[in-house]
Amino acid sequence: MNISKLILSFILSITLFTQTSWAQIASTEALFKQTEILSSKDRIIQFAARQDVAKILEQMDVEPKMIKDRVAAMTDEEASRFVNEIDTLPAGGDVLGTLVGAAVFIFVVLLITDILGLTKVFDFTRSVR
Amino acid sequence: MILSGCGPKEPLVLSTQRVTSSSISVPFVTPRSDLCAATSIEMISSYWHATTSYTPRLSQEELDARTLIPAKGGTLQIELMATARANGLLAYTLAPTLDALLHELEKQHPVIVLLNRGYSWYPLWHYAPVTGYNKKDQTILMHFSDRPNEAMNVATFKRLWERSGNWGVVLLPPGYLPATASSKAFLRSAYDLEKTGMRDNAIIAYRSALQRWPKDIDILFALANAYYHSNKFTAAEKYYRKLLSIEPLHPLALNNLSDLLCRTGRRKQAMAIIKKAVSNNSEIQSIINATQKEILGGCTLQRTH
Repeated sequence: MNISKLILSFILSITLFTQTSWAQIASTEALFKQTEILSSKDRIIQFAARQDVAKILEQMDVEPKMIKDRVAAMTDEEASRFVNEIDTLPAGGDVLGTLVGAAVFIFVVLLITDILGLTKVFDFTRSVR
Repeated sequence: MILSGCGPKEPLVLSTQRVTSSSISVPFVTPRSDLCAATSIEMISSYWHATTSYTPRLSQEELDARTLIPAKGGTLQIELMATARANGLLAYTLAPTLDALLHELEKQHPVIVLLNRGYSWYPLWHYAPVTGYNKKDQTILMHFSDRPNEAMNVATFKRLWERSGNWGVVLLPPGYLPATASSKAFLRSAYDLEKTGMRDNAIIAYRSALQRWPKDIDILFALANAYYHSNKFTAAEKYYRKLLSIEPLHPLALNNLSDLLCRTGRRKQAMAIIKKAVSNNSEIQSIINATQKEILGGCTLQRTH
């Protein structure tokens, strides 16, 4: 809860900071938007997306003191994608930890497919291809 | 079912490349648990650190702390790219083809790929920096897990890679362009740097892009805006004018240039220029109208939003 508040104030300061240019300047953002100019409604939606990113990271055991930096490092598009697709996006990591829980059957199947060159689960296998 | 992937051997694309082999000396880092994204960034960063004037901004601990999602046991592509940017590199996602990958390798740009070492029903996602290829042996070289420059048969590589939709990214110091970049996609990558607080790096990237695409309107506009926001008005003016010399009625550039002139005390010129600006987009037109009003008001008020 505290973290979310912290992030909120931080993002708000960023948003204000990037807004201090004169109001009439057309932003580079216009090049990428169908609607050309970012409306205030878009800004509110993106602001909410960043809050959600912070919450999700918090729930997923990310170090609390890193959350602010991690949210700030994302673009608006990345933050929205993060929120919308977090359940399906692949997370590249380590193989061994994941394998510990695997059944012997899967182990054997993957060993064979490794040897056939269809997968590369184990570091020690050499494909016959 | 197990053998279903073993189709007839297709002719391999490796043969279309001009160069028969490519090997990039990317320093190897032993992977840390669940942190193949962080170690991949670390390896690419130290490669550029060794070969160019680029200096990494983040420590190894910071790379780890910014990329790992403990509950997922790994790193999302989004955060790999965001962390690479925070480390001062431009992140450019390649077109999803083997050809694009080989082309970058040929230009000595190492590529981080996402592979699924298992199957879609048992995914084992892994990031690896690709460090070269060898046409004669039909292999792709990568720092794969704890094995530096592992040579993987290209058929196997293609299988593991296509499971991620052939996802690959080059991380480059801001003055460097991907061999396979399109102007629009590159501009996007450079603008992502600007949006995440690295405007100086973005300016370097825009300027390099202009060397390859000197008349690209969008890049000129982005560069001029970036200078404007850095309060470098002389440089900003130069690039707005250059843009307008190519496309004299570009409404956004006319608006921004007249705003700049107004702000730097050249009200008459500002008025002459804003009069040329017209748009049938109502949002742009309302910005133009506001600028015009500002100029009529004497360019004296410090405006806020």
